[in-house]
Amino acid sequence: MAGRLLPLELVDKCIGSRLWVIMKGDQELVGTLKSFDDYVNMVLEDVTEYEVTPEGKVAHKLDHILLNGNNIAILVPGRSPDDG
Amino acid sequence: MSSSVDEPLDLIRLSLEERIYVKCRGERELRGKLHAFDRHLNMILGEVEETVTTPEIDEETDEEIIRTSRRTVEMLFVRGDVVILVSPPLRTA
Amino acid sequence: MSDTSPAGTPAATPAQGTSAPAAAEAKPAQNKKVTEFLKTILGRPVVVKLNSGVDYRGVLACLDSFMNIAMEQTEEYVQGQLKAKYGDCFIRGNNVLYISAQKRR
Repeated sequence: MAGRLLPLELVDKCIGSRLWVIMKGDQELVGTLKSFDDYVNMVLEDVTEYEVTPEGKVAHKLDHILLNGNNIAILVPGRSPDDG
Repeated sequence: MSSSVDEPLDLIRLSLEERIYVKCRGERELRGKLHAFDRHLNMILGEVEETVTTPEIDEETDEEIIRTSRRTVEMLFVRGDVVILVSPPLRTA
Repeated sequence: MSDTSPAGTPAATPAQGTSAPAAAEAKPAQNKKVTEFLKTILGRPVVVKLNSGVDYRGVLACLDSFMNIAMEQTEEYVQGQLKAKYGDCFIRGNNVLYISAQKRR
């Protein structure tokens, strides 16, 4: 086990930096990770929320959110959907 | 809201024996008297009016029509996991 | 999506802690921050977004570890359009995507 990074330790290392969150379904968010708990419920700041609508991808800005960990599919540290 | 609401379920507790509005999954709405509930939000409602909303496409005009059907039920059990929102009656001072 | 799994404090199930003990050790301070966030937004105007995409705007009265929420002066928005108003309302936590608050200026 030595030297292996546990999944939640990786999340822990992301605290303070930008994180791309892909939800089950059509939603994605990017924000600065402030904190999280064992369920990976997360407090994010300066969030951009991307929603897939019939008119295409729509972005919304949010100051400060508590994101329910229940529907998170993928976390991508340090990147955002705009990075291509 | 009164100060006796310390946790969200207190709001439901205060609505016992009152008529409440329940929004459920599947575009289903219930209005009825709350007789009992538990922490899962399983509920027993009495004198219930159920409203089901279904969108339909008019084949001739291709327009979407919202169809609502209503029925009343004397007494029913709601399983908590279909509940989205519960609203007590408006308490006007 | 599981309807029975709580979205809240780890006290309820130790499952994650056993699979990731090292991470769990680093955790208590982090948990506290999640709780602190919740304390700071009580009584403030918030937007609660559900998985269905519906938004609820109102004043956050209280919430529990399942993310069950009690709100006051709640307005329901479907695709940005005001659809309903509720004096008080209870939202079952499993439907919640996020709770959003404006930063205090």
